[in-house]
Amino acid sequence: MPSLFLGILLLGLRVTESQASGLAPPQQVRLDADTEAQKLLVTWEDGRASTFDVEILRTELMEIVFNETVVATEDQSTGKHQWNWTSPVPLECTSLSVKVRSRDGQDVSEWSSQQILPGLDLPDNTDSQMYPEGKTVPVGSNMTFCCIVKEGQQFGSLLYKDTLVKETMLSRRTYATTMTNQGPSNPSGTNVVCSDEKKMIITGAVVFVGYPPMPSDLVCETHDLISVDCQWSKGRETYLFGMARQTYYTLNGRNCSKARDSNMRCGLEQWDGNWTLVARNLLGEFRLTDAAELGHRVRPVAPVNLTTPEVYSWNASVGWLWKYNGYERLSLICQVQRTSHSNSSTQTYTGYGLNTVVLKDLQPDEKYNVKVRCGSQKNFWKWGEWSLPLSFQTKMDRPVAPDIWLWMDSDNLGRVLWKPLTKSESHGQISGYEVTLWSPEENSQQTLTLPQSMYSLPINVTDRWSKVTVTARNPAGVSLPANVVIPRHLPDAEDTTISKVTFNGSGFPLSWVAHANASCGYVVDWYNTSCTHDCNVEWTRVAADNTNTMVQSSNFFAGVRYTFSLYACSSESTVLLERWHGYMQELVPSRTVPRLSPNQEGSDVQLTWDQIPLEHQRGFILGYTVYLTNASHLTLLANITDPQLTNHTVKNLVLGSYKFTVKAYNAAGEDGGATVSISLDPYTYWLIMEILVALGTMTCLLIIITIACYRKRKWVKKAFYPDIPEPKLPGEWGITQGTLDVKPSPHSMVHIVEDSVWDSSKEALVTVPEEDEEGTGDEEADTDEPASLRYYNQVVEEGSSSRGRPHASDSSASSTGSMDSGHTDVTYTGIQTSACSLAPMAHFQPQPDASQCAGGGGYRPQMQSASCPEDPQTGPEEHLQPPVGSFGGYQPQCSWKQDSPEADGGGLDQACLGSPTSVTSSQFLLPYDTSEEGKEHQSSASTWFHNLLTGKP
Amino acid sequence: MSGHVKNMCPQLPISQAARTLLSLLLVAAIDSVSAGVVCRKQPCGSSLQISLKLTKLIHKESADLLKTYKVSQGDMSELFCQMSINNVPDPNISGLDPSERMLSIYSHCKAFLPHLKRVTEQQTDLQPPSSSLLSKLSTAQNRTNGLANQINCIYQTLFPNLPIPPEPVDGPTSVPPSQNVFQQKVYGCVVLKRFKEFLSRVTRELRTLKSQVCTRRTTFADTNALS
Repeated sequence: MPSLFLGILLLGLRVTESQASGLAPPQQVRLDADTEAQKLLVTWEDGRASTFDVEILRTELMEIVFNETVVATEDQSTGKHQWNWTSPVPLECTSLSVKVRSRDGQDVSEWSSQQILPGLDLPDNTDSQMYPEGKTVPVGSNMTFCCIVKEGQQFGSLLYKDTLVKETMLSRRTYATTMTNQGPSNPSGTNVVCSDEKKMIITGAVVFVGYPPMPSDLVCETHDLISVDCQWSKGRETYLFGMARQTYYTLNGRNCSKARDSNMRCGLEQWDGNWTLVARNLLGEFRLTDAAELGHRVRPVAPVNLTTPEVYSWNASVGWLWKYNGYERLSLICQVQRTSHSNSSTQTYTGYGLNTVVLKDLQPDEKYNVKVRCGSQKNFWKWGEWSLPLSFQTKMDRPVAPDIWLWMDSDNLGRVLWKPLTKSESHGQISGYEVTLWSPEENSQQTLTLPQSMYSLPINVTDRWSKVTVTARNPAGVSLPANVVIPRHLPDAEDTTISKVTFNGSGFPLSWVAHANASCGYVVDWYNTSCTHDCNVEWTRVAADNTNTMVQSSNFFAGVRYTFSLYACSSESTVLLERWHGYMQELVPSRTVPRLSPNQEGSDVQLTWDQIPLEHQRGFILGYTVYLTNASHLTLLANITDPQLTNHTVKNLVLGSYKFTVKAYNAAGEDGGATVSISLDPYTYWLIMEILVALGTMTCLLIIITIACYRKRKWVKKAFYPDIPEPKLPGEWGITQGTLDVKPSPHSMVHIVEDSVWDSSKEALVTVPEEDEEGTGDEEADTDEPASLRYYNQVVEEGSSSRGRPHASDSSASSTGSMDSGHTDVTYTGIQTSACSLAPMAHFQPQPDASQCAGGGGYRPQMQSASCPEDPQTGPEEHLQPPVGSFGGYQPQCSWKQDSPEADGGGLDQACLGSPTSVTSSQFLLPYDTSEEGKEHQSSASTWFHNLLTGKP
Repeated sequence: MSGHVKNMCPQLPISQAARTLLSLLLVAAIDSVSAGVVCRKQPCGSSLQISLKLTKLIHKESADLLKTYKVSQGDMSELFCQMSINNVPDPNISGLDPSERMLSIYSHCKAFLPHLKRVTEQQTDLQPPSSSLLSKLSTAQNRTNGLANQINCIYQTLFPNLPIPPEPVDGPTSVPPSQNVFQQKVYGCVVLKRFKEFLSRVTRELRTLKSQVCTRRTTFADTNALS
């Protein structure tokens, strides 16, 4: 009961409210959709109000899309209200519900019945879809795409191009995304795809994003003086292609179907004077206009059928035809462009209906290509198109005179040089050169014909020729002659100053002081300085009023020294004025210093080397650097800034091995460096030096001793060889002194008494070969060669035998040895017998029987020292007395010792040992020293000295 | 024509350049044939070899065509070919005996032609006129037509007593009536993909047929000659 009451109350209130507003709800609400434009047209009737509330919802999810009060006037003819709404979302995406109510201020009517615009996501439409599809929109616009998935399929994601975008669910099957500020798409459009949960594409759409057309620069002109040809620029790219989306053009309302791509032009048959171009595509249209008089827009067509009616060596005429007859009355200005292998130039000609021109200043024997274009001379608008080119070749002409020069290879030999004629100078193929040698004094000449490949002729300046003329020949004729004077007196090049010149990037700048005799200008020639023969010489001529030039050549190479010579040219001769050396670019020397060698000077080492050959210097040598090399490390020892100095001494080095590197340097840097090693080892030299010094010292000492001995020879003689007193013989001897030379019988040269026990009572007469003082062997005794023997009476001391001595001692060592070895009583001696001993020998007959000597006390001119009597007799009277020994014969050697008090005390065996002998005798001359010590000393010393003097070892 | 055939002895080893030239000559010859189907008597192996070489050439070009097509379709076009579309000829060759399989090849060639033409038309509206895709599509059409005629001639030569059915018109694989732009892209990709697969199968099939049919017919001919 209470509820019923409440219901009645509410119904009453509603009725009261409706009756209170007095507005009837809209009737017959109708929805019309324009899916392409995404517009919804809502119409209704029976609404007297002018404002209405419109509410649009997505039917399935009941989401309000639009709810606003709108103004909708009544169409008087139909009595209906209509209102347009543009949906941001394609209308196909999902169903929309629309209801309307009238509003009058705050009064509103009831809502109309809800009208539904069905979407394509209804269950009966099971396929997957995507909207909008194939739409064309301007760049920067926003768009919402929706994807309707297939019934029963699971939505995955939405991708714009290749970018995953965020989606919004519009219904059970519909998902949407909005793209803002879209960029231009590629020709086939921008892809938007919808994929399932497996990343497989369900469906997709394509949108074309581009620009409306915006052409520019519309220009209309005439070529035939009748029709019009308009051109324009395409302008901004629209990014829209295809029949539906491309841009279409109309000119004054006529379609320009041929305006495609880059060919933006359109023509009309008649000259209108005003033109309007309309460019249109799906996104909009653009208009361009142009206006002009015909006479101001004449652009002639290209001339056709070019010909050359006349062609000469230096000029030619060119003619052509015009396509339109109207050009005959048109004042034309034409350009003729001619191109040869060397250059290109354009000349301008004018005239009414111009169709022929004459080309001047052509080069003979030259191939030309010409082409022509023209414009309207009056009210010039634009140049027309170039004609097709025409080729022709001019005729030949005689060549120009060659440029000649005289180059001296030596004082007497030179070469006449001339430069090859260039294409512009030869005026045709050069067939050869003629060289004429002139001798004005003898009024004679000699002409030589040289082939076209020769550009020089050697001459001898000492010949009678004084002038050379060179001419060039081609099929068209002979050139003018070129002359050069052969100098009789050559300038002395050694006296010419040589300076350096630096390459400045384009050439060698040379300047000089003006010379009075340079009547025909100056000549600068240059060549490779290191070249020795057949050098490539180039030259250039400088006008007489010019005192500087820039020497340029394509034959300059880096690292090559060039010599530039300046000559003053006159009609009589050429005078060498100045010379320069220069490098186009200096390079480091290409080789090291040659012949680097070290020389030790005590603790110093002097390094010497030669200069680098000129061709390897590759720059002006500025000096040398000397390094001490330690492994790979170089220590600078000296920097020699004088390039002429090619040695350096490294001082105060300690003993050891050293390696030195010498590098030459120029402005470009140092060379690789020459290295040399030296080992400072003093011992070898010092040892040699010590030996040499010792030998020298000994030599000097010996010399001094010799000199001293020589000067003191008297004293030496007195000290060591006192004069032997003349023996005083008692009575008359009457014997002629002299040596008894006997030619012995070969069978009786030697008598050897082989008697081990010397018979002291016998005297032995010994034969001694005169020439063999040393020989004691049997072979000497057995020789058949007869020898002059000297016989000495040799008395064998009986006492020696009695004392058990095997034999008597000899005065010579050899004889002693002989007796020692053979135990014989024969004594050989080469010592000359003394006068005292020889005297009796002259009359002495050999007594083989020794008993005669020993027994009777007969004459014994000389006795051996060993057998010297113990108490010699000094006087003749004593000679008669029986000797102490076994014989009492004369013993002159020992007789003087009687004056010595000690003589008696000496032993017999020591009687004469150590006693000096005469220079002519082998007998000892000095008295025997009585002291024992002195005897021994004198014995050895005297023996040595005796041997030394006698040359015996 | 015959002169060309004589020069195209398949057993001779020839360089790649020579092969290409040979293929071009083949295509020129077959293109001329396509204007009107005029078959000339040729040895079985020779005619099949010519067709085989032409198929290899078209197959090679179809791979390049598909690649160009994908590049021309924008982003994610690689996935387009994976979508399923009806009414595109099946690349499989059907039939049990050689005559049926050869007839299937011929029918497929004819079936693919309108689809290639449709794709060409669609892409003409999507690509710039200077696009290489358009020229390649046009070339593929012409060569496929030539291959179909070549197969037709071989079929008539090998099986003179078997009738050739009329060319399929609006059959189950007729071209789609209308498509939106996205559908056109997908359609074209599927058509070209299947076209490429079809040519691969034709290559294998022709190789097999050459060994089967020509050997058998030679045997038959020898037998007849002996009899």
